[in-house]
Amino acid sequence: MEPMSEVDRNIAEAPLPTKGTLRRRKSLGYQVTRFVAFNFRMMKMVTRAHH
Amino acid sequence: MARIVILGAGISGHTAALHLQRQLKNKHEIVVVSPNSNWNWIPSNIWVGVGKMAKSQVTFPLAPIYQRKHIVFRQAKAVAIHPEGDINESQGFVDIVYTDPTRVSEEERLAYDYLIVATGPKLNFAATPGLGPEGNSWSVCTANHAEQSSAALEKIIEALKAGERKTLVIGVGHGTCTCEGAAFEYTFNVEHELRERGVRELADVVYLSNEYDLGDLGVGGMIFAQNGFETSSKLWTESLFRERGVRAILRAHVEKVDPGVIHYEDLDGAHHTLDFDFAMLLPPFRGVEMKAYAKNGDDITDALFAPNGFLRVDADYATKPYEEWAPEDWPKTYQCPRYDNVFGVGIAFAPPHAISEPRKSPNGTVISPAPPRTGMPSGVMGRTVALSIVDRIHRGGEAKLRTASMADMGAACIASAGTGLRRGSAAAITMFPIIPDRRRFPGTGRDLTQTSGEIGLSGHWTKLLLHYLFIYKAKARFGWFLIPE
Ligand SMILES: Cc1cc2nc3c(=O)[nH]c(=O)nc-3n(C[C@H](O)[C@H](O)[C@H](O)COP(=O)(O)OP(=O)(O)OC[C@H]3O[C@@H](n4cnc5c(N)ncnc54)[C@H](O)[C@@H]3O)c2cc1C
Repeated sequence: MEPMSEVDRNIAEAPLPTKGTLRRRKSLGYQVTRFVAFNFRMMKMVTRAHH
Repeated sequence: MARIVILGAGISGHTAALHLQRQLKNKHEIVVVSPNSNWNWIPSNIWVGVGKMAKSQVTFPLAPIYQRKHIVFRQAKAVAIHPEGDINESQGFVDIVYTDPTRVSEEERLAYDYLIVATGPKLNFAATPGLGPEGNSWSVCTANHAEQSSAALEKIIEALKAGERKTLVIGVGHGTCTCEGAAFEYTFNVEHELRERGVRELADVVYLSNEYDLGDLGVGGMIFAQNGFETSSKLWTESLFRERGVRAILRAHVEKVDPGVIHYEDLDGAHHTLDFDFAMLLPPFRGVEMKAYAKNGDDITDALFAPNGFLRVDADYATKPYEEWAPEDWPKTYQCPRYDNVFGVGIAFAPPHAISEPRKSPNGTVISPAPPRTGMPSGVMGRTVALSIVDRIHRGGEAKLRTASMADMGAACIASAGTGLRRGSAAAITMFPIIPDRRRFPGTGRDLTQTSGEIGLSGHWTKLLLHYLFIYKAKARFGWFLIPE
């Protein structure tokens, strides 16, 4: 077997999301709030870019 | 009456044309030249490439929009710029060759008072033997390419369903490519599709890139503040790769694509092969082929365009080491230094240098991403230059040019990781500024309060919302200008 490359090793050692995180990523209620928050942040950035 | 000629009807050129028309009404003439009859919302090509959208959902014909807006449209490609005119003509002009099916190959000389070069990239498949849909790999750079990729992917899924094991390689097809974000998106959309279709187990999905680390994305990576920690986009992306079981090969320059075999060199200078059953590899970009001539007919192409074919603008093109790269190197007004009525926007302008740290293998092969110029900055540049031209028309040649430097601009990037209103997902990233500024933001180079990343279903909703909003805007429907670039 080929030795693991640095990239493979980094991926293998990267933190996995917990069950709670995975649930939140799909939870409709929580995601609606994230949708609003992200779009607000994006609009702030966009309005800055227009001046 | 002034005539403004815009070469290119992509994100930057089309945005410029609509803003010019809105400001100048019908008092001045706006002419758009583009070889394609359709407008394409390129970011959604990813979804065409996995069969989740039809080509007709990401494209629409430009002619009716331009007719409604009283913008002159020439379905043609520009082949030469004569910024000083010629011995008979004192005004600058462009040579165009029609691609319009009713006038194919007809030539025309188009005089201008102001010229905006917004020709985007030439998809340089020729840089890597065997790369591209006419060779041995697929692409999603155009809606047609994405449709072909989708058909090829469907065949792979059929084979997987029949119990065969398959390797799918997705990434970039040259050491100097940009647009790693698009390759990343396609990787995770394909992976998502394989899972949805119940064939993931038999598929090896491999991401092949010229990035030094995952999460570099051609912007040198990012640092986010998350849960009380500074997290790198590297760790964040590695986590996603682990979660979704995608393998990554980085620091790679694809040298050749044979049927079923990719040959690549790594940063250590070693040569490798990688077998595949399906490969979608983005091409490197260069400027579209265009010549430039002085009044006396001398070829001044090298003075107007950088060696990579992109238009030189008000950037600092002096060669300097990475440590000396500065935000001020990046252009602000997008005005051509030699001709003050010529501007270059979007992918068409020549960047001063990369954003990611440059790297070469011991063989001298460049293996590091070129700087991306994504949709949002491209649109902002188009609008900014349009308004500068409007100012000059109204207030004369001395009117101050407006500025929109990528060193003073943020970007939002929504990298889709799978579709579906309930099951979709995307990595939603914002960064400010695009060009890191270590003097203003010591350590990370970017403002931590405005640089963020999160993964989830809401990212998919945002990406879908942007799809509909930008197509609405590009169709110049009621109130289009209220939608920011
Ligand atoms: C697959 C993919 C996915 C992407 N996803 C995203 C994303 O999610 N978010 C994001 O922000 N960005 C994304 N991008 C990048 C985005 O598409 C570009 O930033 C944007 O298209 C650049 O706009 P532009 O006007 O410079 O070039 P383009 O949109 O490429 O337009 C160039 C125009 O010039 C015309 N042209 C070409 N040659 C000539 C000629 N000789 N004469 C006249 N006209 C000519 C072309 O026909 C076209 O109309 C993606 C890119 C790709 C390839």
